[in-house]
Amino acid sequence: MTPPLGLGGTTECDRTDLLPPGYRVGGWVVTGLIGSGGWSTVYAARPAGARSAGGRPVGARSVGTPAGTGPGPAEVALKIMPTAALAPRQARRIVESARREVELGRRLGHPRLIGFLDTFVLSAPDRPSLDGAIVLVMERAAASLREFVDAGVPEADRGRLIAEICEGLSHLHRSGWVHADLKPENVLLGADRSVKLSDFGLATELTGTHGYAPPMGTLDYLPPERWRAPLGELGVLVRPTADIWALGVVIHEVFTSGGSPFTGATPVARGAAVQEYGAGRAPLRLDHALPPFWRDLAADCLAPTHAARAPHTADSLLARIRAARQETPVTRTAPGAGRRHGGRARAAVLATALCGIAGAALCADGVRAAGSYAPPGRTGVATGAVRVFNAERGCQERAERDPQCSLGLAIDPRKPYAAQNVVATRVWHGDVLAAECELADGRPIIDEEDRQSTRWFRVRLPAGSAPSAAWLPAVRTKDRPSLPGCPHPAAAP
Amino acid sequence: MSGVVVHLPRGSGGTDGGAPCGDPVTLRLGPGEVARFGRGSATVPVELRLDDAAISRLAGEIRVTDDHWQLTNHSSTHSYLVENPEGAGEYLRVAPRRVGAPIPFEFSRVVLPTRGDVPVSFQVFAPDHVYLDPEAMGVPWGNHTVTAYSLDETATYFLVLVALCEPRLRDQSRVAVPTTPQIVERLRSHPACGALTARAVSSHIDYLADEKLRIGVPDGPAEHGKGERRNGKREEVVGLALRFGLVREEHLALLPPLTGARGRERQAER
Repeated sequence: MTPPLGLGGTTECDRTDLLPPGYRVGGWVVTGLIGSGGWSTVYAARPAGARSAGGRPVGARSVGTPAGTGPGPAEVALKIMPTAALAPRQARRIVESARREVELGRRLGHPRLIGFLDTFVLSAPDRPSLDGAIVLVMERAAASLREFVDAGVPEADRGRLIAEICEGLSHLHRSGWVHADLKPENVLLGADRSVKLSDFGLATELTGTHGYAPPMGTLDYLPPERWRAPLGELGVLVRPTADIWALGVVIHEVFTSGGSPFTGATPVARGAAVQEYGAGRAPLRLDHALPPFWRDLAADCLAPTHAARAPHTADSLLARIRAARQETPVTRTAPGAGRRHGGRARAAVLATALCGIAGAALCADGVRAAGSYAPPGRTGVATGAVRVFNAERGCQERAERDPQCSLGLAIDPRKPYAAQNVVATRVWHGDVLAAECELADGRPIIDEEDRQSTRWFRVRLPAGSAPSAAWLPAVRTKDRPSLPGCPHPAAAP
Repeated sequence: MSGVVVHLPRGSGGTDGGAPCGDPVTLRLGPGEVARFGRGSATVPVELRLDDAAISRLAGEIRVTDDHWQLTNHSSTHSYLVENPEGAGEYLRVAPRRVGAPIPFEFSRVVLPTRGDVPVSFQVFAPDHVYLDPEAMGVPWGNHTVTAYSLDETATYFLVLVALCEPRLRDQSRVAVPTTPQIVERLRSHPACGALTARAVSSHIDYLADEKLRIGVPDGPAEHGKGERRNGKREEVVGLALRFGLVREEHLALLPPLTGARGRERQAER
């Protein structure tokens, strides 16, 4: 939330500079403090007067209004950037940052960018330190993705949030801009939890394929090439692939409660890890909490060089996300809504939990390779045979048997479907298994597309396996063969 | 941020197998990279060869970690000294067999004892140290937007930079950037850096341009004279430092006061 553009502030007196609730700033009345950074302080504010038409300047862009308000916003955020008491060179940098925000806000209105309403210079003769400050009037957000990430983003929200960040980036990049400081702090969420990218103080308009930004950034989100980038007359060279890198870090954080894909206790240590990876001296190690589809996407965003990242534009990433999400209706009603808050607690029963346990794959004996026990053939799966279905689209298209895309078979379908309850044999999308019988009331399993079932199939394992059979959740196949009911298992058959 | 630079002066050794003995050596190491040093041999290869009979074949190891480096002492009898040439006598002693001693200095001189009077030494620069922006003090900085080209305001190179920027900071006009002799003269009354030589000033400017700001090398024709290139470099250093606020008006206080006579003289020059 805090726009932490840091430079040139006078810290020793900023506490006394805070505006009290009720203070009038142009056509707005301060209602409270949202946060403060090096360059600026952000306040919540409401229009002065019941309907302060005068407060809304002519030419202000209309923005998506917060839920439950009338035509004008009932609440706005005021970003106040003081310039008094600064040496001319410091003030110039603040003016420059404000100019970038205003220019982008005026020209690039979009539902995925925080709405820009107005800018003016504060006249406050009673407060010399704020007199002459630059005020940006912006749409008021409800929270930032940072707060969400730190608390653990609910399972059901993850894909949507990432898709919406991608929409915002796609719009920026299509319009010829680079954000240059994408991070969860700058991804704001509206009252309806929709994404609004914000803080365009470093945003840069491209000329051709690249632009130049001030030599600033947030260490955890800088791509490898930035660590060696020369400083030129116009600043440091930025290209849209810098935002894509940052997006890869953000995707990883969304799935891991804020964990960086790069190891290290401090931002500097993680920056060193980024450079080792960029120089090809260390592999990319993504957390196994990322489902296969998102691992692939994050890995593409985190390709080590600009050239390798360039094919993965915000548009192409967005298309992949949409395609993956379209397999099931995106709008869910009761079940989806209910899971929003309980998502983490139920994560253990999600089939996702079993995806990508690389360790298990070490002893995986390809079921498909031992084709003798299952009737193969693409058309007309025989009765009793079930073809494995992996809802992760990235896994469906893969020819090779990537451990990340393997699925587990349960030892006991009534115990939690977790790592210790899985046989060594892994299965992949497209494998055909021989089902012997079915159990109607096993552990409920929800897949990545929110399909839920308590039905399990007992499938035969390759000869010599112990146990000789294991259990496949019905959500892991599209086939519904008519099978006898299994005797309730005392343990594994 | 791009690692550390190891510099072995002329006449102390060389790279293993490669350059003829006695040439100066410069090694660049990125994070996670290691350079071994010692007398070396066919079975004990070293990246940095030190020619002295008293130095073991494998005397030690430098490893780049985060924004600093670590020194491992492979000697079982000798301590190594790591001096901070700018630290007014600051040094560390790395005991025999110590593994991975972290070195906090941006500039270091690693000194290995020899049987003769002159110890063998080489330099290690760690230009990637990160400094907080002035207004980020007192708040958790991890997620803050920071200036990516941070400078140590107590270092000699910063003093040289302020002296280079002084004319433009004082009157905001596009006057010529001071020459090296002018910088030497300007800093002569500085309590710590009064003895700075012209050569030292030039190497500080090179360090600023190459390691700190990483000024992009223009693909210009090579026929420019060396002096001309150096002038371009110094103009560019000043331009960038001022444009991006790395040097600001308040830093003028670091310079020795302009004495009346010299102040008048400077005025007269314009």
